[in-house]
Amino acid sequence: MTVEALLQHGFQAVTLPEGNREIDGAYIGDLLSWVMGRATADNAWITIMSNVNVVAVASLADVSCVILCEGVVLPEDVKATAEQKNVNVLTTEMPAYQAAVRLSQLI
Amino acid sequence: MKELSLNLLDVAENSVKAGATLTELLLTEEQNRLTMVIRDDGCGMSAETVAKVIDPFYTTRTTRKVGLGVPFLKMEAEQTGGSLTVSSTEASADPICHGTTLTAVFYTDHVDFTPLGDVISTVTTLIQGHPDTDFLFLHTTAKGEVRLATCGVRSLLGEDVCLGEYEVIKWIEAYLKEQYGDLQGI
Repeated sequence: MTVEALLQHGFQAVTLPEGNREIDGAYIGDLLSWVMGRATADNAWITIMSNVNVVAVASLADVSCVILCEGVVLPEDVKATAEQKNVNVLTTEMPAYQAAVRLSQLI
Repeated sequence: MKELSLNLLDVAENSVKAGATLTELLLTEEQNRLTMVIRDDGCGMSAETVAKVIDPFYTTRTTRKVGLGVPFLKMEAEQTGGSLTVSSTEASADPICHGTTLTAVFYTDHVDFTPLGDVISTVTTLIQGHPDTDFLFLHTTAKGEVRLATCGVRSLLGEDVCLGEYEVIKWIEAYLKEQYGDLQGI
């Protein structure tokens, strides 16, 4: 399924510069250096981290989107960077486990 | 990163890349505060570049578009309530006294403090990888200090011995381990 299709299922858009990207799985993690070597391209990355390094890691790992769970808010300047670097970011009130379960039902 | 020692290695590699003849790695523990200073006498950076090194999308590498060494370290310092600063003097501005100093402060009693990890490996990896440049490692704690200066080892062994040799590295490793052991014994 595509990233923008998630908007119908309890996920809200923060910025979707490439909303038509496909999601082929998910990776959950908050330790950025760890995620960097393990999230694979086209994964949805579920995290509670929201600083600018998240955008860099997402870009490097080429994930299809970042999903900020538990209602984490992305600062405006980080949102601008994400937009500029073509990194899709969504947010949800769900904790990581529930977000992943929902994703697994959808893809 | 899971250990600060890996950040230390990463940042020190930048110093060597900047042409440092001496890179100092200083760890100072005072109560609940750990200060990490990485100081080199390399080519230095312009004020503009200094401002950019904390930007994860800035890198001197050409193989990839982001550089995360300093941004990760800054994040790890800030998530304990600490800070990271970089100051630098370019060789063109001061031909004699130039280089870069990075200072990171951590509060070790914060739950998000990243453990220091295996600093001995960091030191030996650096020396093995760059046996012709000098390193000063100094870890100061309330119980005493752990120190290694490669210039001392170099003058002890003579010019003919390469510091990157297996036996030398093993000796340095044992020497540091012994000093850490002594600290714990106190």
